[in-house]
Amino acid sequence: MLGFLAWLDDTPLSHFVAETTWVYPALETMHTVGMALLIGSLGLVDLRVLGFKPELPLLETQRVLPLAWLGFTLNALSGTLLFVSDSVMFYSSYTFRIKIALIVLGGINAALLGSKVFQAPVPGKVSPPPSVGAKWIAGTSLVFWFGAIIAGRLIAYTP
Amino acid sequence: MMDFFIWLEHTPIANAIRETRWMYATFETSHYIGLALLVGGIMLIDLRVLGFARTLPLKSMIGLLPFVWVGFLINVLSGSMLFIYGATSFGFNHAFWLKMTFMVLAGLNALAFDVSVRRSKVDWVGADLPPIYVKAFATLSFVLWLCVVTTGRWMAYI
Repeated sequence: MLGFLAWLDDTPLSHFVAETTWVYPALETMHTVGMALLIGSLGLVDLRVLGFKPELPLLETQRVLPLAWLGFTLNALSGTLLFVSDSVMFYSSYTFRIKIALIVLGGINAALLGSKVFQAPVPGKVSPPPSVGAKWIAGTSLVFWFGAIIAGRLIAYTP
Repeated sequence: MMDFFIWLEHTPIANAIRETRWMYATFETSHYIGLALLVGGIMLIDLRVLGFARTLPLKSMIGLLPFVWVGFLINVLSGSMLFIYGATSFGFNHAFWLKMTFMVLAGLNALAFDVSVRRSKVDWVGADLPPIYVKAFATLSFVLWLCVVTTGRWMAYI
């Protein structure tokens, strides 16, 4: 793995990201904006499932999910390029691995929430309030995503 | 000004941030969590005013503002701590002052939005028919907060 990553770190793309003055900060900015979009919109859905803002129609909160996908796509792209710029360092960082694990868990949670809460509404039938299970999924989702922010920020400070 | 920045950098708080392990990292991390609440929340509200996710009542989306305020408070506090720690370098950083300028503009814009919600004779919030100038405020807000994030990120590179 490290052999491949060392090769990756020597590709023209990696040098381009790491050495062109404006590229790295531009990708970091994109990563920050994507984070705000992703966690802002997913956080709204999670909080609603947990019972905050009951005046928002529960099933309609899924209308903000395209914004979460936009943020996720921005961050998968910018994140991949940032990784490529220094892949041996990121791969060797335990904090980075924790961050990726938290993102995977957050993604699984989002999929679970989609199947448990956001099924197609039956016309004329009021949807039931979220089950305790759904609330657990929403609560842990917030923990995973805010955990991913924390881990991401701490990569620079930890082994 | 320089004397003031030097004094700031040697206050007991600044020394504590410098000498306590994890203190700086903690404030920086808080600044990102606050950013997610503040900018994430504002962008959702701006986009809703502009017509995104119409089935969510405009009034309840504007009701998300307390979350935005929590994010703002977290970031004023953590941001002040980060500034005190490095006053002599941040104080002369062009990206930092640009960021502050964009923040003030975004704040004035938010104030204009708030006044137009309070003063509206017709209940455009309840009717979900924001006037064109309110949509202009929402667009401007979205762009200004993008500028705040961008210049903030750029502080480390100039």
